[in-house]
Amino acid sequence: MAIDRYSYPFTAIVGQDEMKLALVLNAINPTIGGVLIRGEKGTGKSTAVRALARLLPDQQVVEGCHFGCHPDDPEDWCLDCRERAAAGALPVTTRRMRVVELPINASEDRVVGTIDLEAALKEGSRRFEPGVLAEANRNILYVDEVNLLDDHIVDVLLDAAAMGINTVEREGVSVSHPSRFILVGTMNPEEGELRPQLLDRFGLCVDVEGIRDLDQRVAIVEKRALWEDDPNQFSQLHAESEQAAKSQIAEAIATFPEVMLPREILRLIAQISIALEVDGHRSDLVCARAAQAKAAYDRSDEVGVTHVGDVAEMVFAHRVHSVPFGKGGPNLGEVISRMVGQA
Amino acid sequence: MSVTLDRHSFPFTAIVGQDSMKLALILNAIVPTIGGVLIRGEKGTGKSTAVRALARLLPEHDVVEGCHFGCDPADREALCDDCRAKLMAAGTLPHHKRRMRVVELPINASEDRVVGTIDIEAALRTGTRRFEPGVLAEANRNILYVDEVNLLDDHLVDVLLDAAAMGVNVIEREGVSFSHPSRFILVGTMNPEEGELRPQLLDRFGLCVDVEGIRDPDERVLIAERDAAFKKGDHEFANEFAAADSNLSRALGEAIARVKDVQLSAGHARLISSICVEAEVLGHRADVVIDHAARALAAYRRHGSPNREDIYDAASLALSHRARQPLRRDQDETTSPEHGEEQEGTQQPESDAGDPQASENEATSDASAEQSASASDTGQQSAGADTGVTTGGASGHESAPDALQTFNLKRIDLPRQRRVRKQGGKRAASQTPDRRGRYVRAEPKEKVSDLAIDATVRAAAPLQRERGRRHGERLMLEKQDLRQKVRERKIGNLIVFVVDASASMDAEQRMAATKGAILSLLQDAYVRRDRVAVVIFKNRTAEVVMRPTSSVSLARRRLERLSVGGTTPLTHGLMAGYKVVKTELLRDPTIRPLLVLISDGRGNISMFKEEPLVEAQKVAALIDAENIDALVIDSARDYSHLPSVQHLARVAPMYQTYAINACADLAERMGAHYYGLYDLSRDEIATAVERELGRGR
Repeated sequence: MAIDRYSYPFTAIVGQDEMKLALVLNAINPTIGGVLIRGEKGTGKSTAVRALARLLPDQQVVEGCHFGCHPDDPEDWCLDCRERAAAGALPVTTRRMRVVELPINASEDRVVGTIDLEAALKEGSRRFEPGVLAEANRNILYVDEVNLLDDHIVDVLLDAAAMGINTVEREGVSVSHPSRFILVGTMNPEEGELRPQLLDRFGLCVDVEGIRDLDQRVAIVEKRALWEDDPNQFSQLHAESEQAAKSQIAEAIATFPEVMLPREILRLIAQISIALEVDGHRSDLVCARAAQAKAAYDRSDEVGVTHVGDVAEMVFAHRVHSVPFGKGGPNLGEVISRMVGQA
Repeated sequence: MSVTLDRHSFPFTAIVGQDSMKLALILNAIVPTIGGVLIRGEKGTGKSTAVRALARLLPEHDVVEGCHFGCDPADREALCDDCRAKLMAAGTLPHHKRRMRVVELPINASEDRVVGTIDIEAALRTGTRRFEPGVLAEANRNILYVDEVNLLDDHLVDVLLDAAAMGVNVIEREGVSFSHPSRFILVGTMNPEEGELRPQLLDRFGLCVDVEGIRDPDERVLIAERDAAFKKGDHEFANEFAAADSNLSRALGEAIARVKDVQLSAGHARLISSICVEAEVLGHRADVVIDHAARALAAYRRHGSPNREDIYDAASLALSHRARQPLRRDQDETTSPEHGEEQEGTQQPESDAGDPQASENEATSDASAEQSASASDTGQQSAGADTGVTTGGASGHESAPDALQTFNLKRIDLPRQRRVRKQGGKRAASQTPDRRGRYVRAEPKEKVSDLAIDATVRAAAPLQRERGRRHGERLMLEKQDLRQKVRERKIGNLIVFVVDASASMDAEQRMAATKGAILSLLQDAYVRRDRVAVVIFKNRTAEVVMRPTSSVSLARRRLERLSVGGTTPLTHGLMAGYKVVKTELLRDPTIRPLLVLISDGRGNISMFKEEPLVEAQKVAALIDAENIDALVIDSARDYSHLPSVQHLARVAPMYQTYAINACADLAERMGAHYYGLYDLSRDEIATAVERELGRGR
């Protein structure tokens, strides 16, 4: 289910800077682990996710591969590609990164993949028919209303997200294939919350709300009207800013691995984690990666305190324990501003 | 046969800290009969990383060539039928060295792939019913790894337990009758916040370790640095730890060679038994596990025979999940001498991969096991409860009575024994007639609406030749081949709290205690994926303040804002709760509702122009008649505050009697369990609940 219709230009989205930044950072370094966008209806969540896809650079894929394997990354190849590579050079093609949608009513067979019906009935052979997790490999997996997803589908997602591999042992088929995706979920907290385990899998989390500023609201409506009037012309109007954003992202993708992460910065991050009493160490790793991506995006060659400050809230917002009936334990904003301010 | 994708895994030796987890994994690689390890811990602590990293360190062993089950040529007792036949015919078995592997069992695996099934291709080609091995075949003599093992479906757990108990996988399905050796090292990881493990499965794990996040900033920095280096593909990092990994792998190999010669002295054998007796473990598995683990440790640490330290370290890994049965606190006294000795043991500096923390668990088996079992949520719970008192008692008198604190540490278990549907256990899985839920198996059915293709093809395959299908033609299906998918969906309960917020609840900080009780039940609800609704009644009306939701924190926020005051429209409350239940039942008849009334039972507002008490009784009878499960928590019954009760009884004896009876009477009419709010802190009640529910499988 790829979405490739006219989408609203990313740079034309008014406000919601945190959300946009979180998406961009993930595009720069997918190992940040995705983003969860929490907020009311009609705050441009879906629009932003779809618009992001157009800013992403084209990627090289093995031609004819179900999973879109990277031709230069043998460690992550699927079995098919391994076999084909053994027989000769792999044909390469380029494609645009896509937004693959996981509908909340998806059945498990469709998500993990299942036995190929036609082959089974025609030849009695068991061929694997790839599912959404195959399609999502190296793409964005977008789950709207992720909190309403059936429990057993959530389990499957967790598994794949954790390992980067989807292992299928069901309905007579036995397959493992790479499934590394940028998980983007949206949810309206009023309709129930996410299991903490899944929550923690999202690298970043941003809370969006409707914009209260009058002028901005007017701008939203005006732009929307223009776009609906003539999407083509509107897109052209924003072609320049889109192109600029696209190349800034592309540049950051190339440079972020070389951006220095000084030990003091890692220490600062660890201290924030400790002060906020979060579980485990994922927050440290995510925060380091996100700050690094932000530094690359800002075209600096070393991660500074401000970069940590820019991303800290997105990293920790969903990891701070909410204490039932409590005053909420350590205060996120307070801790962050104290820690980032002091250095 | 599934093929595991081999890829970069983070080096085992580069994992910072978590020594007991690493040690437990290593010991299993040295002596597989230890029986595996369960790793429990909060998210993001490197549990899965460690298990996957282990794969690279595993030793090589002899396997019979071409054997699906990787039989050991030297172990004639455990050969599969094929190898046995070959041995009979040829006298020897050709074999080669193979590295032990980590075989993963995905939690959504279907039964046919786990136990194995009919080989469709062979069936088509020759019409014979040949066995096609599944995951349990592959796991033989290897490590079987289940990530999120607590989320594994019950039917798969049963299959695993069967195979683990016998070391043999027996298949009787789809016309295939077969058995093969399946001895595996079971390794599981889980986050206890997501639910507990079935006791039987828990006991199958030889060792168990609890991991926690590291709080030391320097170590955390190290973790982040190593992660960054790994992600970047840093050569220096890769070389350094490749060397460290191969050293460890060599040490493992040497330990395996040595372990056969490790002797356990009679005195130390007695020590193991006495440790187990003192920890009051059930059965003898613990003794055996400690014995094996101590030998492995001795071999690894180059001791000729296990010393006290080895034994205590082994015991700490083997007992943390076994010494869980209710021990009395005074047991601590009898174990304290051991505690002293053990401390001594751990202080010896030479414990190379040893782990000082783990040893603490052992002697104080009772306390630590309890803590570790629910470490995170108990902690959360008690912390929350304390603050609950402050935010809850909005009216001013904020001092928390002692009863509240003990109260909140205790879990309240919801009645699981249902009148309508009698499946026991948590998160009962109901078979669902619609197409939602997980496909668990297939069965022949008169009218097939949800076709199980795999099972259908398997049923039809052996008959194709008979039916005259020629190669390349479509499969010839007949009605008798068709199989229907049987799906299961985990159905949480719907818990509807009907909470009294009248002025009388303000007394004695009842509201705070009530909130504490709801919190305790909510924690339970989360783990079981229940949905929760809250109805509040006060003044002249009842209000559904929270529609059914799975959000525990939403429930918390709603309760926080709750203020107390006014009269007690009990009938209104009960009616509103009843309506919520009925509406939800209409929406999904498979849910299992439970109505929890928290009140002092002193209704004083009429809804139908009758005596309030009589009205409430009538609604209670209605709830009973509709077979809705209920629980009544009497906020007035308060034996822990004897002075005030006596006082009340003195000034208004009739009133007190009336109050107690009103609530108990309502409970009886509802067919509900009845508890006093303050009694819930006491052990007797909790055990009584357990007994009454006949919990545990």
